[in-house]
Amino acid sequence: MKAFNAIFKNEFKLSLRDMNIPIFGIVQPIIVAIIIGLTGGSKPAFEGAGYSFIDQSFGALTAICICATGLMGMPLLLSDYRHRKILKRYMVTPVSPALLLFVQVLVNLIMSIISLISIYIICSVCWGYSMDGNVGLFLLSYLFVTLSIYSIGMMLASLAPNMKTASLLCTLIYFPMLFFSGATIPYEIMPKAARAAMDILPLTQGVKLLKATSLGLPAENAVIPIIILALVSVVCVILSIKFFRWE
Amino acid sequence: MTKALIVKGLTKSYGNIRAVDCLDLEVNKGEIFGLLGHNGAGKTTSIECILGVKKVDVGTVELLGMNPTADRKKLFESVGVQFQQTSYHEKVRVSEICEVTKSLYKAPADWRKLLKSFGLSGMEKRTVSELSGGERQRLSVLLALIPNPQFVFLDELTTGLDSKARRDVWKYIESLKTDGLTVLLTSHYMDEVETLCDRICILKKGQVVVMGTVKELVAKSPYDNLDEAYLWYSGEEEAANESI
Repeated sequence: MKAFNAIFKNEFKLSLRDMNIPIFGIVQPIIVAIIIGLTGGSKPAFEGAGYSFIDQSFGALTAICICATGLMGMPLLLSDYRHRKILKRYMVTPVSPALLLFVQVLVNLIMSIISLISIYIICSVCWGYSMDGNVGLFLLSYLFVTLSIYSIGMMLASLAPNMKTASLLCTLIYFPMLFFSGATIPYEIMPKAARAAMDILPLTQGVKLLKATSLGLPAENAVIPIIILALVSVVCVILSIKFFRWE
Repeated sequence: MTKALIVKGLTKSYGNIRAVDCLDLEVNKGEIFGLLGHNGAGKTTSIECILGVKKVDVGTVELLGMNPTADRKKLFESVGVQFQQTSYHEKVRVSEICEVTKSLYKAPADWRKLLKSFGLSGMEKRTVSELSGGERQRLSVLLALIPNPQFVFLDELTTGLDSKARRDVWKYIESLKTDGLTVLLTSHYMDEVETLCDRICILKKGQVVVMGTVKELVAKSPYDNLDEAYLWYSGEEEAANESI
């Protein structure tokens, strides 16, 4: 517990000092939220919709930070730690690798929650957003999506043999997920064919789930995303543990 | 005398290159043992295999009566390690890395006292990237001592230090030795080896050339000092003459 507290405190401070996660995970989604708000705002999402454009986009906006922390921040940090032999130094101490990984997940999760709260405040103050769906269910699905996207990041960190490959893999996965999952560019405005392609991305399913719970849509909208994300998590967690390397 | 480290038949290859070849080694409790050899002789690989950082191909290692891989968590409560190349998060402060290191152990040493002994007091708020090479090296040795270890591994402990700092480090290691600390170190400085080491082992191409006390090794060679004896044993004598 002592080790956990000290490592957590230190890693949290370092992530603030680094500014990568605060910029890409917190400032970036706020900017996107403002743009979405200014373009659609409190107008109905489509003709005859029971909810506004911002209502529809809220779930997607909250996914941006999950994407930034899970697919860029965390895997790059872990491969950097391996590259700098920081993990190797930990290897010759009594600390368990699970604790180190758990600390990283927690630091990034907290950043995501800060991002979520900021977006909520901006959307509600500027465009009168209030959640139609059940808040508890939304938070639960938020946690679920976060953990499954983080498992992808963990797998990237474990599989990438060096820093260069890690950055390449992260770039190849992060940007498509950021732009083509509906997190930044709304899924609904995409052509039908593009949507079919977007559905392959796990984050698209995450965004669908977040939308379904935040809008309080019927449960059947959530079934497929939950199954896909659960499968992704199981596979990625197994691979990331199997291929974890200190050095 | 009880053994702190027993290595039997340790072999490790990288591709076709045999980095360590059937190394047998025993270090007694309370002893300072020097592993010598020129660059690429297999010193670092030996240490990393002993610590379980690298997987051995063949052979066994018993460190403080434990298996470094199977008993990792328990073993590293009492073992401190300074790697040759250690790097840190650039923006981490000296006090922060000391605090984190301290938190990993059940009965850690007081790192503020260690900072003082290593001439680093007043640098708590500096980030690691702001330290000079010598200061960073001293920090690495210091971190290896935070666990209050029974056994410490120091890979090139004073590389990059000025003579005053080297002497300070030696003095500190010697004071810990009187408290029963066992040390395995590597070094390229023969004055350091003569001052600190009870016994030494010279490696060449991953194999043991000779092992014994400094006196024994010098006596067995055609020379009367360790510098020349070392070059003779490690086969660098000719190379040294050629370059002259």
